[in-house]
Amino acid sequence: MSTKTRLEGVKFQGVVTIVFAFLLLPVIIVVLTSFTTQTFPTIPREDFSFEWYVRLLQDEKLLRALTVSFIVATGSAILSAIIGTIAAIGFVRSTFPYKQQISTVMLLPMIISPVITGIALVRYFGKIQLPSGYPALIMGHTILSLPYVFLLVRSELLTFDEDLERASRVLGADPATTFRHVTGPIVSPAILAGGFIAFVVSFGEFTATQFLISPDTSTVPVVIYTMLRTGLTPTINALSVILITVMVVVALSSRRLAS
Amino acid sequence: MLEVEGFTKYYGDLCAVDDLSFRIEAGEFVTLLGPSGCGKSTTLHAIAGLVEPTEGRTRLRGDDVTDLPPEKRNIGMAFQSTALFPHMTVRENIAYGLRMHGYSKADIEGRVDDSLALVDMPEHSEHKPGELSGGQQQRVSLARALAYEPDILLLDEPLTGLDRVLQEEMRSWLRRIQLEVGVTTLYVTHDQEDALSMSDRVVVLRDGRAEQIGSPELIYESPESPFVAEFVGKSTQFTGKVAEADGGVVVHSDNKKITLPDSAPSPGTDVTAYVRPEDVRVSIDPTRSTNEFPGTVLNISNLGNRAEMTIELTDGKTVLAHTGRFPNFAVGDNVYIQFDIDRVIVL
Amino acid sequence: MSVERPTLGQVTHIVGDRLQGRISNHHLALLGVSFVGFFLILPIIFLIPESLNLGSSTPFESYRRAMDSIYVDAFVRSFIFGLATTAVTLSLAYLLAYYLTFAARRVRIVMTLIIVPLWIAYVIRYFGILLFLSPAGPFANLTGIDPGLLFTSPAVILGLANVYLPFAVLPLYNSLNAINKELIDASRVLGADKWWTIIKIIFPLSLPGLVAAGLIVFILAAGSFLGPAVLGGPQQAMIANVIAKAFLENFNIQFASALAIIYTILLVGFLIAFNTVFDIQEVLGDI
Repeated sequence: MSTKTRLEGVKFQGVVTIVFAFLLLPVIIVVLTSFTTQTFPTIPREDFSFEWYVRLLQDEKLLRALTVSFIVATGSAILSAIIGTIAAIGFVRSTFPYKQQISTVMLLPMIISPVITGIALVRYFGKIQLPSGYPALIMGHTILSLPYVFLLVRSELLTFDEDLERASRVLGADPATTFRHVTGPIVSPAILAGGFIAFVVSFGEFTATQFLISPDTSTVPVVIYTMLRTGLTPTINALSVILITVMVVVALSSRRLAS
Repeated sequence: MLEVEGFTKYYGDLCAVDDLSFRIEAGEFVTLLGPSGCGKSTTLHAIAGLVEPTEGRTRLRGDDVTDLPPEKRNIGMAFQSTALFPHMTVRENIAYGLRMHGYSKADIEGRVDDSLALVDMPEHSEHKPGELSGGQQQRVSLARALAYEPDILLLDEPLTGLDRVLQEEMRSWLRRIQLEVGVTTLYVTHDQEDALSMSDRVVVLRDGRAEQIGSPELIYESPESPFVAEFVGKSTQFTGKVAEADGGVVVHSDNKKITLPDSAPSPGTDVTAYVRPEDVRVSIDPTRSTNEFPGTVLNISNLGNRAEMTIELTDGKTVLAHTGRFPNFAVGDNVYIQFDIDRVIVL
Repeated sequence: MSVERPTLGQVTHIVGDRLQGRISNHHLALLGVSFVGFFLILPIIFLIPESLNLGSSTPFESYRRAMDSIYVDAFVRSFIFGLATTAVTLSLAYLLAYYLTFAARRVRIVMTLIIVPLWIAYVIRYFGILLFLSPAGPFANLTGIDPGLLFTSPAVILGLANVYLPFAVLPLYNSLNAINKELIDASRVLGADKWWTIIKIIFPLSLPGLVAAGLIVFILAAGSFLGPAVLGGPQQAMIANVIAKAFLENFNIQFASALAIIYTILLVGFLIAFNTVFDIQEVLGDI
């Protein structure tokens, strides 16, 4: 290889590294500055401190937000997984005119700006007497994470070999048993993975959520945002790091399951 | 025209090609023949400049091109997947190479027309590759490679994936074009029929090394190693030790005595004797010549223009014989097979 | 006389038998669509009467108000910021996708690095950028300069580009990776150097991915709330911010609904226009 192409290669690698740094820097900064000893998020030089995590654990309001986030995420993940899986099975296993176009409907929550979704839902829930707070949050997040479960389970089903089911039926098993012993075990990792992704989506959701909360039922992202508006303290970092940890761990587990 | 000297290629610890050297004279059609993984494609790609040799030099027209990138080597290449640009028309595909080699716009138009005429595809110039059949794509691929008169034409298994009939047609057509244009050609394939029917010389490769280099006749009639004898053409094999008998040399294989030509190795050597199917004669009555054995017909496959018979000898050995089509035998017949002494290949 | 209690297996068996033939896969699909219909489409449709304010003394008042320059500005700004973000994001994404396809040794690891940010809440990522640009933040500390970017339009666009970058890399990578490697070999042998090959072969063949990435980023960026909210000032308010403000701060449901409806109509209009040139089904087909 000539020296010219080597130089080009090095320059290119350099540029790519910068782009990567651009992409990953924000999160790295949030994590690093959470260990600062000062009252403003700065990068700790020599002194590391867990002070802000400790303060976090003593703050009732913040702990409550974590609890709310967990409950809402779990609830909406379960609902979303059920409905998303049912829809995925329905779409993959049947044919009808305009199926491709109609399946886009399942992706609407992804496409429509979350602000509009939030406003529309809060008004609607008011009309159908669904209380704000937990019920509104869980319902709202179910709708928002539905497309993710749908896509995941659908792609798994598309590669599923239906001959396995046919073999099971020929051998004498009825549909329910076939599902329990053949389809289920093969497809369930994808369903579980979908549920995990729904959890992650819910846990980090902000824009629509701000319309669905009630005064004493707030989620972590909303709390973080509110704190951002008032003033930057490392407590926000600590809370953010916890949020990051939960979301990354659950997402990684989902990835494991899906592959 | 082309000289490959000591070409060696390692992928990590894996040796793909080991110290391969050969020359091709101007206008020659040479084939690299060998099974998958023997290094033939790697060698071709290295000559094109797409693969960097671990060791060795490549010389084109006397100039050392080893360090030159592909676009500066003035070679033409046709790929296994034809690699026609799907977003361009046939005309644009062929014009691409001409443009990159510096031909003027006026020249390009004319040369594209000439190329299309050469491969019999003038009416397809505005089609996209996706609209053409496999055979048509291969022809355009060739036109594209030859448009700018390269020093050498490299062909990477272009006929793989075509059906049998098309393959045979394309072989003679390809050779005809090559002779007409007179371009030095290096052809890579695992199909020995390709190699035997088109080449001036064949390089038989195995595990990255050259087993034998020679004309198709030489490779077929006088293979230098068991690998070449078995890879090129079908045969029946008899293994055993050489012994003296009846004033001549024989090999005792199972219960049979096979008389060998005078050129056979000295007694005591372990050898394998090969007999080509077309040298095996089948008859109902014995002819009382040397190397004749009785047997039963196991199978007759009619391969269109000839028949391949499998005959089981009395000791269980199966022999392959080629006869004219639809021979006058049936499965289960008791026959005699015979082959002449000088048709036996001993290795 | 004893009565046996049914086992779970028997119950599922009976339910399964009853359902079979009654509920087909069509019904399941219908269930999914109905859910979205009832809990998303319907709520949005209900915003229409809200926005029209019929029955009051000032019907269509909200729409009249939406024509005020401040609000038109917000719409225009959203469009322009969307375009600017798309331009920046696509350039960066193309570099990354090209690297992944042609130069990266360990593709899985690099790909994971690109996807991991998606698992982190937007609000936190914007927080990180805010910190980075803050006059008291790490960048200023390390280099001693305050770039003075905070709360300006470039900050918002950079923030949006950062956050949506992974969404752009994925379809681009798919497109680039799908290019038959022999086409690139062929181009080189035919006499084209690396740059000609990129311009004439690689780039044209990557256009489908580019278009898909551009569409996704534009829609997300134009409708973004958090980006301008965290990184921008009042001059950078985009349509999502205006709508939210109308609803949450001014409790003006009618006006917020009107703005939302206008935005949706514009978005659908944009998609239809886009579809005439690019055929959306094909573009998004791989997702």
